[in-house]
Amino acid sequence: MRVLKAVVAALWLGLCTLPADAAAREDAENAVLLGWYDLVLELVRHTATYSPPVASRAFAYVGVVAHEVQAGGDPALVSLAGQLNGLAALPARDPALPYDDAVALEAALARAMGDFFGNTGPSGQRAMAAVHKGLATAAAEGLDAAMAERSRAWGEAVADHVYQWSLTDGGAVIENMGFPLTYTPGSGPDDWVPTNTQALQQAPLLPGWGENRPFAMPVGVPCKAPPYPAFATGPGTGFYEAAQEVYETSKVLTDEQKAIARFWSDDPMLSPTPPGHWVAIVLQIARRDGLSADRTAEALAVVGVAVADAFIGCWSEKFRHNLIRPVTYIRRHIDPKWEPLLITPPFPEYPSGHSVQSGAAEVALTRLFGEGFAFDDATHEDDGLPVRHFGSFREAAEEAAVSRLFGGIHFPFGNRGGLVQGRCIGDWAARLKTRS
Amino acid sequence: MKALAALLMLPSAALAEPGVPVYVPEDVGISTAYAGEYYYMVGGGVAAFDCSGDRFPDLVFAGGEGPVGVYVNRSEVGGALAFDKVQSGAEIDRVQGVWPIDIDSDGGLDLVLLRLGEDVVLRGLGDCRFERANEAWGFQGGAEWSTALAAIWERGQGWPTLAVGAYIDQTAEAFPWGSCTENRLYRPAGQGFAPPLPLTPSFCALSMLFTDWDRSGTPSLRIANDREYYKGGQEQLWHLPPDGSPRLFTEAEGWKRLRIWGMGIASADLDWDGYPEYFLTSMADNKLQALREVPDGAAPVPVYDDIALKRGVTAHRPYAGGDIRPSTAWHAEFGDVNNDGRLDLFVVKGNVAKMPDFAEDDPNNLLLQGADGVFVEAGDRAGVASMGVGRGGAVVDLNLDGALDLVATRRWEVPEVWRQAGCGGGHWVQVALHLPGANRNALGAVLEIRHGDAVERREVTLGGGQGGGKAGWLHIGLGDAEAADLRVIWPDGSVGDWLRLAAGGFFDLSPGAAPVSWSPGGSAADCAAGAP
Repeated sequence: MRVLKAVVAALWLGLCTLPADAAAREDAENAVLLGWYDLVLELVRHTATYSPPVASRAFAYVGVVAHEVQAGGDPALVSLAGQLNGLAALPARDPALPYDDAVALEAALARAMGDFFGNTGPSGQRAMAAVHKGLATAAAEGLDAAMAERSRAWGEAVADHVYQWSLTDGGAVIENMGFPLTYTPGSGPDDWVPTNTQALQQAPLLPGWGENRPFAMPVGVPCKAPPYPAFATGPGTGFYEAAQEVYETSKVLTDEQKAIARFWSDDPMLSPTPPGHWVAIVLQIARRDGLSADRTAEALAVVGVAVADAFIGCWSEKFRHNLIRPVTYIRRHIDPKWEPLLITPPFPEYPSGHSVQSGAAEVALTRLFGEGFAFDDATHEDDGLPVRHFGSFREAAEEAAVSRLFGGIHFPFGNRGGLVQGRCIGDWAARLKTRS
Repeated sequence: MKALAALLMLPSAALAEPGVPVYVPEDVGISTAYAGEYYYMVGGGVAAFDCSGDRFPDLVFAGGEGPVGVYVNRSEVGGALAFDKVQSGAEIDRVQGVWPIDIDSDGGLDLVLLRLGEDVVLRGLGDCRFERANEAWGFQGGAEWSTALAAIWERGQGWPTLAVGAYIDQTAEAFPWGSCTENRLYRPAGQGFAPPLPLTPSFCALSMLFTDWDRSGTPSLRIANDREYYKGGQEQLWHLPPDGSPRLFTEAEGWKRLRIWGMGIASADLDWDGYPEYFLTSMADNKLQALREVPDGAAPVPVYDDIALKRGVTAHRPYAGGDIRPSTAWHAEFGDVNNDGRLDLFVVKGNVAKMPDFAEDDPNNLLLQGADGVFVEAGDRAGVASMGVGRGGAVVDLNLDGALDLVATRRWEVPEVWRQAGCGGGHWVQVALHLPGANRNALGAVLEIRHGDAVERREVTLGGGQGGGKAGWLHIGLGDAEAADLRVIWPDGSVGDWLRLAAGGFFDLSPGAAPVSWSPGGSAADCAAGAP
């Protein structure tokens, strides 16, 4: 992983050139796609507004840009225009003239980075400029100048089209890192209340996110999370027993369970976030299997759409139920001094967001790569967390879900219900037609 | 509990809304801005100490791309502030931070300059002149992007130990994240420094502080790290055994992982329980950490609760100017700016550089501690709600009238200096600690100050903050009290007698000797009487 990143970094910096012969343009496209996406995973981590829902939105749009550039030059691929809500036909290439896919892709992704990560800090801005300079120079090396310019302009036009579409989805403007400036928590015994002492987080994150326009899923969130046990505070009730399971589990966590909790913690600002974790998985598979650029872009678009719709659907349910977190319930009714392993995220419990989006990603990726598709996941290797192996996307999604129990931040039913909702949502992304 | 009761038993006048000091911005002729772009987004501090020999604090500013600026204090007691820029030999560029310390214990303060490139130690020659001493003192300055410093005399040593924090790899243009370079620990080797030990893992330190957090008598090293750039990192606390290698406190010892944009550290015993609280600056919410209650007879474990929200010091968003985006905090420092006997908090704010997710108009905070321990914002009422792109700072009595003045450095612009008009609203004393031989300014000593039945402990440190530090007079606000009851625990552990020092005075304290009164002349005595 690190060696590959080093190669891409060398390309960014112009230390080597991409092959100019036509037969190797595929490699050039791959270098552009993987190079930009390596940076995307960093920018998501280092741009303060990129909480998981906001990150998922960016992943979807950037993925769509990548796929549409591929689809614009390959009749075997199908555009997502008309399939995604509100996406009109994209700018077409001049059929009489040649284009270079690598140059077009680089230009499109560079433009999309500026559109969707313009808020990043000075290091991110500097990195974007360095990456763009290196990749653009390498991609155009040895090409006819007119063709390169034409390709660049068309790529930027594709990105501009997607960006204009994005502005109307309801999620384009994030204020105060997504936290309302004023908020009055509910007063019911089952209502969510703030769970930490950060002033900014005395209001929940993005309470209106569930009203955003979805991508592949129809408007109105057809996929709901299943009912959970009726709220109760007495021992022997389903709800109490669920909380008791969280509590008891926390007391006997094994090292393996702690490792699982931390592996899928995917904290914003400290990781690529939960949706970025699934994007990272796609990139690792692309590198391991040497996927073609069009295949990688297709996967990035579909999984991006799946996780973005998952967060919209999940947030709709979270704020419909506005359910209390385990840390609050357990301290009120079981043990006032209880501390979960992970920091509880600042929004309502039901359903588990990581479970919803992992269920959605599982379905989307299984459609693309098949059942029983095994892979190693080194997403957090740089942070010192060991590689984990999974026999299938389903296995990974199940582990992501149960990690929230080990972390003490969700009830078991929140994780199970999240997977149910996520798989339903992911099916909409999985049905997208990307190839003729 | 005893301390809290004492806090609440202050004179009735002290229970009212804290008095708001009045600050007057003064153009004192300082022309050294913290200049430069990407490589100067952090740092930019100020050192406040006397280099001219008149015991008034002089000021030395990091200039970033430009040279360090040294300014001699020409102020009159209680009067308008005045400084003259002088040629000092410290005019070195690429400096991120400046700290004063008498390294060779010759009685004159020296300077440590942390730089983008080789760090430099300068020997003080008197009359605000300095000369390079890297070679003479065996100081290997490295070539990193150095950003944080802390200093201490380890027990029995005749030469200081310096911890130097490093930031990101300067060459990592496209992929700076995860590229934090090694922090270094310079320990003594005779009358000089040994080759530095790596303090690894290193996580892009922006502030460091030696602090005896557990009152063990052996300071530990606390490091604030910038999560923007580390991978697998967190805030750190290092053991520093005098005869052994430094090692991190672990989860097994109680240390809890905290990952913030750690930028500055300020410490104070706010609740008078004898253990320091730590204010940690960051982006959005800032932290105020209090040691979890130590059971009777048990040794403290490094478990901290964040009490910033409860104490009113989250300072997470601008309180003036209309910008609703989260804040960015850098230098932080406690001081009793209204002389009511309770420490207040000055926080310098400023956007990193055109980060649109964070406030552009981000006023400095002046948080005044009330009788209930809760702080209230008074930056705008006091006149220090500057919208400059702040970085370093100092809370220091520049005209020796007993009322603390304020300094805030800024990116691209000259620093702001505010003189406090009036006398701060209450009584005060100021003391200077002196040791014979090594460690002339008694780094690592503790001042114990009685408040009724409770005792507040103040550590004498060099470190924390952002890019700079102070040496010289230690200011103590007294409220209505006519005298300060205090004693000194010297760095070797010896405990001085309780002293009763009359309000309005300056006192030199040395072990085994009676306090020696000193006067700057002028009208300081008027302030001692509580004149407005």
